[in-house]
Amino acid sequence: MIGSFKQLKKDEEEGGGNPYYSADKTSVLQEARVFNETPVNVKRSTHVLTKILYLLNQGEILATKEATDAFFAMTKLFQSNDLVLRRLVYLGIKELCNIAEDTIIVTSSLTKDMTGREDQYRAPAIRALCRITDATMMQSIERYMKQAIVDRTTGVSSAALVSCRHIMTQSPEVVKRWVSEVQEALSSDNVMVQFHALGVLHQIRKSDKLAVTKMITKLTTSGLRSPYAICFLIRVVAQLIEEDEASSDSRLFDFLESMLRHKAEMVIYEAANAIVTLKKSSSRELVSGISVLQLFLSSPKPTLRFAAVRTLGKVAMYQPSAVAACNLDLETLLQDVNRSIATLAITTLLKTGTEGSVDRLMKSISNFLNDISDEFKVFVVE
Amino acid sequence: MSNLLEPTLYVIKGIAILDNDGNRIVAKYYDPHCFSSVKEEKKFEKNLFQKTHRANAEITMLDKLTCVYRSNVDLFFYVMGSSHENELILLCVLTCLYDAVSLILRKNVEKKTLLENLDIILLAIDEICDGGVPLETDPQVIAQRVALRMEETPFNDQTVSQVLQTAREQLKWSLLK
Repeated sequence: MIGSFKQLKKDEEEGGGNPYYSADKTSVLQEARVFNETPVNVKRSTHVLTKILYLLNQGEILATKEATDAFFAMTKLFQSNDLVLRRLVYLGIKELCNIAEDTIIVTSSLTKDMTGREDQYRAPAIRALCRITDATMMQSIERYMKQAIVDRTTGVSSAALVSCRHIMTQSPEVVKRWVSEVQEALSSDNVMVQFHALGVLHQIRKSDKLAVTKMITKLTTSGLRSPYAICFLIRVVAQLIEEDEASSDSRLFDFLESMLRHKAEMVIYEAANAIVTLKKSSSRELVSGISVLQLFLSSPKPTLRFAAVRTLGKVAMYQPSAVAACNLDLETLLQDVNRSIATLAITTLLKTGTEGSVDRLMKSISNFLNDISDEFKVFVVE
Repeated sequence: MSNLLEPTLYVIKGIAILDNDGNRIVAKYYDPHCFSSVKEEKKFEKNLFQKTHRANAEITMLDKLTCVYRSNVDLFFYVMGSSHENELILLCVLTCLYDAVSLILRKNVEKKTLLENLDIILLAIDEICDGGVPLETDPQVIAQRVALRMEETPFNDQTVSQVLQTAREQLKWSLLK
């Protein structure tokens, strides 16, 4: 410990407090030879691997051969059972798998970890494995993936689901066979698992409108626990309302409106945003959406004020009269310490204001303009 | 087609931790269409830092990205999403990032301790976001998953519930501060 501390101190004097400052590609890749020692030198290997990850993160570019060499050296570290080191190896695999060649060499090690008894390994091993596996190889681990999706350990289930979603971007077919497992995961108590399961399920059903409608009917009545999943669901519902040529289903609007009374702010905002953006909203619905956003305008939380004023600015483009009800609150925001919020408030007011108030605004903007960035000036002029 | 939000799991465009000169300590970008090169990324980070290092205002817009941020002593934490994204989801991710880091660093959220624990921090970021999808937003779960080094952890032979208790207390402290 003391030795490494001294080392840190020394580097610090040279690199302005950054012990990794002096790391350069050639020497670090040389140091990676330490990975070949048996038994594994855990401490040094961890340090060198962290350096490699740091360099990659700084944007250092490795040639194919360099990356492949480092990758193969890294596979030796599977011999160690040190938790942190193993996790860093997974990270290294993910970082290098797009540059290095023959990365499938680690498939068996990762499959072993993913099905092993050590819970801490399983989830990250799944994520790394799915990164190096293509669709054809996926079939060989299909059985394990199905088990992982419904695993009781939430981290494992989430890892499998998110990996499914990544795979679907390339090859949607394999995952479609796992739909019953994904559905089972959707009823999980865990907020993240539910969110991830819904994301995968929607991706599977996306092109089949009837299936989407069925899914929505079930979920809007049964209720989801996860606020993240509900935000996702709100977007699906809004899309369905918009695409539906015929008269809109009032139950869907009822669902959106009921979400305005949800306890999580992120859900309330998502619902309000959907309602005010939908062209089919009735004036009554529009008013309830806008009044929720109006409440947010005076929130002590900057992010909430920002979200509300940004959305109102959007609505003001095509429904200026509906937003005019918020003019007083918007004018208060001109003094906001957050300049982004103040600027968004101005642009919104310019759209909703009457001739007289616009004149007044222009005066207050003129001394304000010096303060704000060019980007926002463009925004204002628009 | 419309202004409606696409239902997607890919919520996060980027996560960055910068030092008090605006230099990158760690940064991950998840959307390859966002920036064409590392040079572009770093330019963006410099601009972002310029814009945010004095204003402690939590949220801003830059280059068509919504950025939520938070700072402590000599560190700046950022989470980026598209300018249409639900800002409150981004804020949850940022809060998780910040709280997980302070749990890992035992409240010493500063550059020196962060660099000393860089391996764990890299693991934590990997646990928070997988390819743009928020993976977990509970900082205690993150801290537990990245398994703090045994030699350094005082709770070697404690049970999981005890560890969680300690973590909870630490969180409480950081809130009281």
